[in-house]
Amino acid sequence: MGISKNTQRAIEVFVLIVAAIFVMPIILVFITSFKPEPEIIRFQGILPIQWTLENFREILGNPEEIPIFRWLLNSLFISSMVTLLVLTVSSMAAYALARLNLPGGRILFFLIIATLMVPPQILLVPVYLILNPLGWLDTPLALIIPAGAGAFGVFLLHQFFKGIPKDLEEAAAIDGCSKLGIYWHVILPLSKPALATLGIFTFIGSWNDFMGPLIFLDSVEKYTLPVGIALFQTSYYAEYGLTLAASVICTFPIIVVFLFFHKFIIRGIAMSGLKE
Amino acid sequence: MSNQTPLPEPQEQLPAVGPTARGVENYRGNARRRIIRRYSGYLFLAPYLVLFFSFLILPLIYGFWLSLVDYEMLSPEPPGFVGLDNYSEAMDDPYFWQAMKATGLYVGMAVPLGIGLALLMAVLIDSLPQKRQGFYRLMIFMPTMITITVAGLVWRWFYHSEFGLFNAMLERFDIWVPWLTDTTWAMRSIVLMSVWWTIGVPLVILMAGLKQIPVSYYEAAAIDGATGYRRFLYITFPLLRPILLFVVVLSIIGSFQVFGQTFIITEGGPELATRVIMHYIYDTAFNFYRMGYGAAMSWILFAVIIVFSLLQFRIFRER
Repeated sequence: MGISKNTQRAIEVFVLIVAAIFVMPIILVFITSFKPEPEIIRFQGILPIQWTLENFREILGNPEEIPIFRWLLNSLFISSMVTLLVLTVSSMAAYALARLNLPGGRILFFLIIATLMVPPQILLVPVYLILNPLGWLDTPLALIIPAGAGAFGVFLLHQFFKGIPKDLEEAAAIDGCSKLGIYWHVILPLSKPALATLGIFTFIGSWNDFMGPLIFLDSVEKYTLPVGIALFQTSYYAEYGLTLAASVICTFPIIVVFLFFHKFIIRGIAMSGLKE
Repeated sequence: MSNQTPLPEPQEQLPAVGPTARGVENYRGNARRRIIRRYSGYLFLAPYLVLFFSFLILPLIYGFWLSLVDYEMLSPEPPGFVGLDNYSEAMDDPYFWQAMKATGLYVGMAVPLGIGLALLMAVLIDSLPQKRQGFYRLMIFMPTMITITVAGLVWRWFYHSEFGLFNAMLERFDIWVPWLTDTTWAMRSIVLMSVWWTIGVPLVILMAGLKQIPVSYYEAAAIDGATGYRRFLYITFPLLRPILLFVVVLSIIGSFQVFGQTFIITEGGPELATRVIMHYIYDTAFNFYRMGYGAAMSWILFAVIIVFSLLQFRIFRER
């Protein structure tokens, strides 16, 4: 397309170098977590001279001081619950708003979409004060329930549901299908890609959330992985080996999820940008 | 009585209210039924609406009210209405301005650098064979997936002035950089790390935008002899503009709320040079428990963000 073969080759080399620079820190973390502490502090080359599992052994074998499995389970539980909640309430709401022609539905939809402009961070102080009398602070509920209020899921699914042909729904209605039946047997099965995209998005967002658990949780054993690892900054400040091993444990699941589902993730982001 | 006027077809199909119901009552029953049916959709909406109003609309209003009272969580006195005092306190607070300056500096560097690099890479990758585009996009996107604590702690190690990886690598060129210890360098280091960490989303959106430009435009341009940067300037850029605007606004809004990077890598230092506004709000509300003042600064930030979004929108529209 108007570019010579040589130019294209030069471009590709450049792109490859930049891409390698972006991935390099991640690879470095993985490799360096297998180095003994002195080798980490005094850089002698990218690969370890002496491979060791000592960092992992120390971090996993110390559950009283570093309850990393606990944090892992907390993170898994909270992220799964948030994903389930968001998928359920958003898909029901999006179905009602996109397909049921509710009185006042348009105004409500507009109100919901308008809140996409509100940065979630400015809500932290009031949400904290609302959760306090409910007794939800320092419990997983503080991170799970408010997460269901986000408008992004409703917006994404609404746009998708709108595109599903009406005749399928009408055919199901003639066969005596109720609204609940149509939602469950027609809309949801047809929306699997959109639901998968939203689900993965929500899961990763919740898994990586930092400010929420930092503010809403207090007890070390209730922490999620990201906040737990932030503890290293204060307690194990100088021990890079431990920090790196903990980072690998926290990052590995996400990288795996990402490599498996990157198509959904990337499609979801592209969708959210192009629909505007 | 009942066989005087045959009911119209559709109503006959609906189940009658009762076997002895009269026509009029039957009709009224159907009307009620119809209303119930119309509103029954709200049952689907109800769970979301409860959450939406409790944890989005209510906090929004409550937050605004908070910004108008003197609410210190640790003080036994009930919160008293102080009007706009919290806002005028911010105007006279040197720490507030310092935080605003740090935030402005961050936005001013991170947005153009991040979007510029994302645009460059998107255009370059788009010109490569289709088969390998996904691979490069995947690689550049990967850092975005990593949680801020991990990314922050790792970069903190990279930047460490003695044990850090960067200075160790630069040593052989006799270069030593005060990455995090110098007030000017600290913010640059934060921006560099942030570009690495946040470029994924704009890159993906821009690449999707490029895919939407019809190939025929480029073919026409090729016939007219337009190549290289001209192609970009006269076809790609104008057609990509709405999506570029979206990405820029998204990036500005996100950058104004920067928190994790500075909180973990520099802890706001040195000499508060990297304590951004979100960090100051966090300190005010959750370390000093001054909820009212914290909420007021949140609303100032919100106002700034909205002004910037609208401003951007107008600039791009007028062109």
